[in-house]
Amino acid sequence: MSRGSENTDDVPPKWMSFRSLLVFSMILRVFLIVYGEWQDAHMEVRYTDVDYIVFSDAASLMASGESPYKRTTYRYSPLLALLLTPNSFFHRSFGKFLFSASDLLVGWFIHTILKERKVPEKICTYSVMVWLFNPFTFTIGTRGNCEPLVCAMILWIIISLMQGNLSQAAFWYGLVVHFRVYPIIYALPIILVLDSKIFRSGQKPPLENWNTGQTKTPTSNTEKKTFLFNLFTALKSLFSRERIMFGLISGGVFLACNAVSFYFYGHEFLHEALLYHLTRTDPRHNFSIYFYHIYLHYEGQFSAVEKLISFLPQFTVQFALVSCFWQDLVFCIFLQTVAFVAFNKVITAQYFVWFYCLLPLILPWSRMKLKWEGLLCIILWIGAQTHWLLWGYMLEFKGLNVFLQLWVAGLLFLAANTFVLVKIIQRHRFSPLFTRYESSSPKHVKKLH
Amino acid sequence: MATQLRRSLLTLIFICWAISSTSSDQVGTSYGDSDQIRSLCISDRFIMESYFTTTHTSLDDSEFRNFLLHQQCSSDKIPSEHDPNIVPATSLIQHRNVTGEGSHRNLLTSIKLLPLYLEFQLQELVILERLPLGVFADPFELQSIQQRRVFSDVSVFGDTNLELPSFRSNRSVVEIHVEVSPRDYENGEISLKLPLHARYQPLDDSGYSRVEFGEPDLFLCSSHVQNHQHEQRRCLVLSIGRSKTETRSVFWDIPAGIRGHTEYVSALTFAAAVLSAISILVASVLSSKVESCKNSKQS
Repeated sequence: MSRGSENTDDVPPKWMSFRSLLVFSMILRVFLIVYGEWQDAHMEVRYTDVDYIVFSDAASLMASGESPYKRTTYRYSPLLALLLTPNSFFHRSFGKFLFSASDLLVGWFIHTILKERKVPEKICTYSVMVWLFNPFTFTIGTRGNCEPLVCAMILWIIISLMQGNLSQAAFWYGLVVHFRVYPIIYALPIILVLDSKIFRSGQKPPLENWNTGQTKTPTSNTEKKTFLFNLFTALKSLFSRERIMFGLISGGVFLACNAVSFYFYGHEFLHEALLYHLTRTDPRHNFSIYFYHIYLHYEGQFSAVEKLISFLPQFTVQFALVSCFWQDLVFCIFLQTVAFVAFNKVITAQYFVWFYCLLPLILPWSRMKLKWEGLLCIILWIGAQTHWLLWGYMLEFKGLNVFLQLWVAGLLFLAANTFVLVKIIQRHRFSPLFTRYESSSPKHVKKLH
Repeated sequence: MATQLRRSLLTLIFICWAISSTSSDQVGTSYGDSDQIRSLCISDRFIMESYFTTTHTSLDDSEFRNFLLHQQCSSDKIPSEHDPNIVPATSLIQHRNVTGEGSHRNLLTSIKLLPLYLEFQLQELVILERLPLGVFADPFELQSIQQRRVFSDVSVFGDTNLELPSFRSNRSVVEIHVEVSPRDYENGEISLKLPLHARYQPLDDSGYSRVEFGEPDLFLCSSHVQNHQHEQRRCLVLSIGRSKTETRSVFWDIPAGIRGHTEYVSALTFAAAVLSAISILVASVLSSKVESCKNSKQS
């Protein structure tokens, strides 16, 4: 995406205004929900995700005073069941409307974040369209998957940080980690970015805008030392007021949610909602390169050393990405999410939503052109998935022994993920989320009232 | 007239033969004295309901037989083994097959109801499918089938964990209730289609694992009356655990992992993970250094 000052060429046509896109997206989602109800009633193949039935059953159990964990395969926070209790007494599609509304909210938040960083309107619109009109995105909420809720919370955390609202960011971070464990991987870059030279509680931090790259002052350039030095200086002031506050509030919220859930549902909650996700190894076929390795060893047990070795690539990549890119917070968490999914022991398609919601936030800073590098990345990634799905179909629906081929397809999918990740890194225009206080003019510093 | 009446009376009690099977843990294990189980008197909605609520945690064929013996009604007569008027049970199952492809298939069963059963005025056919290890029925899928009125009632007992591979799971039983009307006796056949799903199988060098099905247990019961919890229902035993060797063998070959793949799959998996991690690490560090150089030049 090329840069330039905003002019009339950067303003999209009226029918492509953000408001129009949002309205059209809303109509599309309502239509899909209504259509989904029809398909469920009239066709053997259901539109609704089987997970939605699990959530609804759990919510129904909760509404009648029982534990949601009596529903087998319900492995979420009791909060989710609580949110969906209107399914029982209002309408069974209430949850789908809730998730689709969250999906639209994600679009709104993407627009808000990009406008805050002075991204031209046209580029904002295209970026938002990447989320709102992604077929995967608009089907996932309307089919009853809860991931849009998580995405909305994560984007709200980013907005809160951008507005200097530390306690709100911390509250939602604690809540989202309770809700879905994976955002714990964002803890380190968030803590690092709360450097007192960058972020001060009670003040709106100075943001690095989209146009700022060409107008850096000499002072700001000399601040950009090697990544090791940046990491060293950041770690030196590890126990700043902001970091301690963030840790205490988010940790407190996380523990409080868990404590309340444990009080009501005991060990069932701990095991199903938390420990299961931390220790999950599934021998059944999925996109992960580890699935066949796990299946071939499933009759025995993995030793502690084997478990540690299998965790090393994931840990190394996460550490490297945080060390190199923590200042560009949004880019960092996008890369972390892609890598986390790619190196995970289990990969299902719903995990892709975790980074789909962050992709529009990094596109305005990418030098990658759609023709032909962008298209190559898209084709490789989708092609590798399609290749895997073909072998998956042979195994699951034709009953052929193609475990080896399926595993090779998983290796190719990892290769595609790696290629795309490397290309995105190479083509990214590094842009820290916040500028330093001493380098910015006073007008960028706003006190919160 | 008198002959007909005698025939009807004698056919009140029905003999069920189970022939010994080759393996004692296969479905359809023969029971030496199972012909003594004539009818059951149960107070639960489902026959299997009390099996898993007592000391049984998994399905065992000999324990199941003892369980049925304990459910017997006390007032049964033992018929003459040589009475030619008693129709052998093998005529009940007309057809049995596993249809479909892949990991999701259907177990088809055709049952012939003989007109003489009509005289007992028992309105519910109860089928117990004691599933072998390696396959399972999804209780929620069966619920939606029931909502479409295909069965009058259905439930799954035993191991209902859908995610475990077969070597970490136990067997399960599907109990299906079908309302029968006089028309069913005229038409002669009741067809059942039970959707089943394959579990992940133990490793096998051939690449496939064979799962074999025996025959279902069949009962003809009086209808369950709602809210009459303690009222006993009477179930006439039509057939118990017919051996697969007496009929055409019904089996399902399910893909299984090949043990010989273990070493090189593990080695290459880790190699791929390490290679990818190194690629991302190098790209990250280089990109970070390039940005630093650019900014140094600009300053």
